[in-house]
Amino acid sequence: MREDTRRDAVWKFLGYAFVLLLVVLMMVPIYWIVVASTLPEQAFLAAGTDPRLIPGTHFLSNLEALQSRQGVNFIRSIGNSVLIAVVYTLLSLVLCSMGGFAFAKYDFRAKEPIFYTILATLTLPIQLLVIPLFLMISQMGLTNSYWAIILPWAANPLGIFLMRQNMKQIPDALLESARIDGATEFQLYYRIALPTMKSSLAALAIVLFLFQWNLFLFPLVVLEQGKYTIPVAINQIVGAQRVYYDQIMVAAALSIIPLFLLFIFLQRQFVSGILAGSIKE
Amino acid sequence: MSVTSQVGERVDAVRQRARSAVEPVLRAGVDAVRPVRQRQIRYTRDLADRSPVSVSVPYLFLAPFFVLFTTFLAFPILYTVYLSFHNYQGIGSATLLWIDVGPIDFQLTRIANLEYVGLANYQRLLGDGLFHNALANTSFILFVQVPLMIGLALALALALNASWMRFKGVFRTTIALPVSANLVAYATVFLLLLQEFGLVNYVLTGLGLPRVPWLSGGTQILGPLAGVLGDGFWPRLSLVLAVTWRWTGYNMIILLAGLQNVPTQLYEAAEIDGANRWEKFRYVTLPQLRPVLLFVVVTSTIGTFRLFSEPLIVSEGGAPLRATRTLVMYIYNMAFQQFQLGYASAMTVVLVGIVAVLSVVQISIGGDDDA
Repeated sequence: MREDTRRDAVWKFLGYAFVLLLVVLMMVPIYWIVVASTLPEQAFLAAGTDPRLIPGTHFLSNLEALQSRQGVNFIRSIGNSVLIAVVYTLLSLVLCSMGGFAFAKYDFRAKEPIFYTILATLTLPIQLLVIPLFLMISQMGLTNSYWAIILPWAANPLGIFLMRQNMKQIPDALLESARIDGATEFQLYYRIALPTMKSSLAALAIVLFLFQWNLFLFPLVVLEQGKYTIPVAINQIVGAQRVYYDQIMVAAALSIIPLFLLFIFLQRQFVSGILAGSIKE
Repeated sequence: MSVTSQVGERVDAVRQRARSAVEPVLRAGVDAVRPVRQRQIRYTRDLADRSPVSVSVPYLFLAPFFVLFTTFLAFPILYTVYLSFHNYQGIGSATLLWIDVGPIDFQLTRIANLEYVGLANYQRLLGDGLFHNALANTSFILFVQVPLMIGLALALALALNASWMRFKGVFRTTIALPVSANLVAYATVFLLLLQEFGLVNYVLTGLGLPRVPWLSGGTQILGPLAGVLGDGFWPRLSLVLAVTWRWTGYNMIILLAGLQNVPTQLYEAAEIDGANRWEKFRYVTLPQLRPVLLFVVVTSTIGTFRLFSEPLIVSEGGAPLRATRTLVMYIYNMAFQQFQLGYASAMTVVLVGIVAVLSVVQISIGGDDDA
């Protein structure tokens, strides 16, 4: 018996040590970004001989250097990213919730074939559709417009899957009684389905926002100066002849910190959002 | 003979009696049903009058999604296959179809000027060393990173699922935090951390270990393994570290949810049978977790095949291309720097084929042959 409790204590110790080690490893790069963005370049580039782990006072001057840079207006790219991600998320939420409602609550002849076709595209690395999409976008005259990045992924297969799964939980009796009271089918969706789906919609919204926020390859191909999103703008700074790391660190901090705060704040929804898609069926 | 006829008569009589008993009931039934039936017919007619709305409602709800889905997802997939049999000669503008009827002005133009080349693009793939190299790099990341990450994520999920563990919420959030990091930003940060005189090497030398050529490559330190691993080993390992940092927490959350769905009675039963820790894991946790594990493995595999921003940035920061170039990078290079869209499309088709085969294999290995 005593042998057992001692062994348990060892397991607990190992468990905590392992988790804490991982927590530290996960946090180091993030903490380092914050610190580096407040230091002059020479200070954090010398990390190999003299690492600084306390924030300095150079944040604003680094930011100024970043902003005065030719060709990349970083603050503007933050605005671009936010605008694109918000419009994309809203549009996609409408499309996915309407489609999910149709799949969850109606029977129609083409239901199964359409649904399984959509599901099948979930396993494709969709970034690989960049070539035909690029041709189509330029044919439509949408190159260098926000729509070029919003439209192609607005019909999100994962989104429709999540919405269908969740909307199946709405009781049919509820919809039926509203129908008898004279509600139109659209009112059923708008006045009953949407309000009851608030938390799933929030979860999906976070997943969609993060997805759009991180898109890189396609924006890199179709966007030009002035319309750059954050990833493209940062890549523009990295790929230049002489790399100014102080500017990069400010840019990285500005792009990472707000999302982290949002994530910590909405963590519960995010978790349930991932889960709804992963478990069962 | 008489016996059989007698029997036949008796049977007939019974039949007759039965028929006369049943018939009025049947008739009554039909009469009772008739008004219902008529009401149904009227209802259907009403429906038909009110429709097309009623019948087409689900289609109307689905239409906006479906239009964008076919335009930007289904069509491009087919178009990639089509492109892979052609060589690209520039953006097309030839009008294929032009309908102009008052308010409707619809013009269908050809998207690209193409020259049909048959299987030439695919044949070229067979002899393209750079493609093979990119495939090898991607495979390295697949076979090292995916098991490493899923192992870590599973261990973390098990630890955070233990009843004695405290601060679960805090740990879960901090470990999952990297998933919200901007791809390009975190790749850049890793580039800096892994510099020859960066923070990581500072810590390593502080611990008395040798300085690792993370980005520049080289076979120092590898010793007898140098010949096998080659001088692209360290840059590739850098990519593995960066990707693992970002996605471990995400997978941990999914596995954690899977663990929480395992019925506790199963563990109790195993305990009564005298199972130890390992046996409980092996015979209860693993089988119960199989569908979730499968999901994690398949999505991670797909993720590996679309790696792009991390290797791009690491390479621009000085890592040798032939060590870190992934398939998507090579496709991007072919398509948008050399404008060989047909060849790049052929690579895409092959890549999607590989992913599909891997997914099917994984699903059939981990699938539900409930043993």
